[in-house]
Amino acid sequence: MPEGSWPENIDEIIEEFADCFDSMERFELLFEYAKKHPFPLHIDDWTDENMVHGCQSRAHVTCVTDSEGKIRVSGGADAQIVQGLMAISSWVINGQSPEAVAEHDPKYIEAMGLSQILTPSRANGFMNMISKIKKSARAMLE
Amino acid sequence: MMNYDVEAIRTHFPILERVLPNGKQLVYFDNAATTQKPLVVIDAMSDFYKTYHANAHRSNHTLADESTTALEEARDKLSSFFGASESSMIYTGGATEAMNLIAYGWARYNLEEGDVVVTTEMEHHANIVPWQELSKDIGIELRFVPFDTEARKLDYGALEVAAQGASLVCAGHVSNVLGVRNDVERIIKIAHSNGARVALDSAQGAPHEKINFDELGADFCAIAGHKMAGPTGIGCLLVKADALAEMGPFLTGGAIITSVTTEGTQFQDGYAMFETGTPRMAEAIGWRAAVEWLEDNIDFNIAHHHIHGIASWMSSEMEKIPGITIFGAPGRDDGVGVVSFLHESILAQDMGYLLDAGGFAIRTGTHCAQPLLEAMGVASTNRASIWIYNTMAEAEAFIVHLRDIVDRFA
Repeated sequence: MPEGSWPENIDEIIEEFADCFDSMERFELLFEYAKKHPFPLHIDDWTDENMVHGCQSRAHVTCVTDSEGKIRVSGGADAQIVQGLMAISSWVINGQSPEAVAEHDPKYIEAMGLSQILTPSRANGFMNMISKIKKSARAMLE
Repeated sequence: MMNYDVEAIRTHFPILERVLPNGKQLVYFDNAATTQKPLVVIDAMSDFYKTYHANAHRSNHTLADESTTALEEARDKLSSFFGASESSMIYTGGATEAMNLIAYGWARYNLEEGDVVVTTEMEHHANIVPWQELSKDIGIELRFVPFDTEARKLDYGALEVAAQGASLVCAGHVSNVLGVRNDVERIIKIAHSNGARVALDSAQGAPHEKINFDELGADFCAIAGHKMAGPTGIGCLLVKADALAEMGPFLTGGAIITSVTTEGTQFQDGYAMFETGTPRMAEAIGWRAAVEWLEDNIDFNIAHHHIHGIASWMSSEMEKIPGITIFGAPGRDDGVGVVSFLHESILAQDMGYLLDAGGFAIRTGTHCAQPLLEAMGVASTNRASIWIYNTMAEAEAFIVHLRDIVDRFA
């Protein structure tokens, strides 16, 4: 996916966040998305192998291909903010080719007004989760 | 509040005026992690770099002389401030390095396999990990004194037992997680009555009380500059003269030697043996400015009443909010400005973000004290820590925002 663009299917979500009055409202919305995570990771898969490092709380992610060779990620996190970000990202990523996911840039988070969450110094693990997914996608291409 | 002019104090700290990118006024409640700096500290360091910066203890030009003089005058001032005129002060990178200096500069030279070092469950990792590593190196026995989770303080009865036959007792002055001040006078007495030396990790104690090291009677005391208005990157180890005489080199290299040949090295005596490499000149000058500012502007007893009053009030208000649990005992006499808390359904990490959204800077996580959190049965906590420039109005705003968070997110 080229930098600065994202699938149309999340334009509505971006708009929803952009319309929020302040960061508290945005976090409320993120908590709602966390609750309706479309691709949650089963608790049995919260293993060391799937763990996302650099997160203050527990976060896990898996990245596989379906029968058509398209990526399917599932994630699970204790922290609702991370879980919400995982939900939205999996919406964007799932169904894409490994080539596209290897180049994935979560710019849409900025467009949602949540850019402060993306700074690497914030130990929420979200960026580490994206790195882990991209690493898996790159490994599929080798 | 006993003639404590907090608004006047705040004018010395420019960062407290900061408005965050989300438009919220900063409320800085992360003081146990690091305190903000008064302008005099920033100016002193800037002045050093602008007008007389040179490497100390090396050259004989004017700037080097001025820099050396400033470094050593800062040592004299800091020693005097900490009541260590009969003892030595070794500059370190901070309290963690000071604790390592005790482990590797004293214990490594004086202890052997089977000798006992006592520490506690309440400690910062800086007072646990060096001892575990030394245990692997030379086979010391490491004993942990439990934290009494019911009484919310150190189990002094267990300390009496653990100290028997010990060579060294190492304890935190004030818990960085809970803000509980340990009875360090009692700890020193117990250690010495058992013939053990005693080391205090005063990283969290020095910002809240005037330490008089010679009177206190501990053998070692680790202090961090940045937790008491000074710059980052500097701290010290205060050492009694007889303990210093038992120490050997830790970090080695230049500046700490009398001679080096291909056959071996002769080291300097006293504190000079422990300060290898380029000294922390700007940091020492800044720290000196900080303690002078504290002397001129802060009465520690009155400040303690102010800080304690805010933390105590916050804690009692937070207890009224459904789902909040308070750890430690902020309202008790031994509470030192920290309110560590958790909400039953809002994870600490999320709480940190939600408070930040309101402009409130607090700490979340394990606070580098995992054994204590394990003893308390929690994975992490939120920690609001109060210092001399915080106000009751900030505390009131915090409670309003916290109630809003719980109403909307729990």
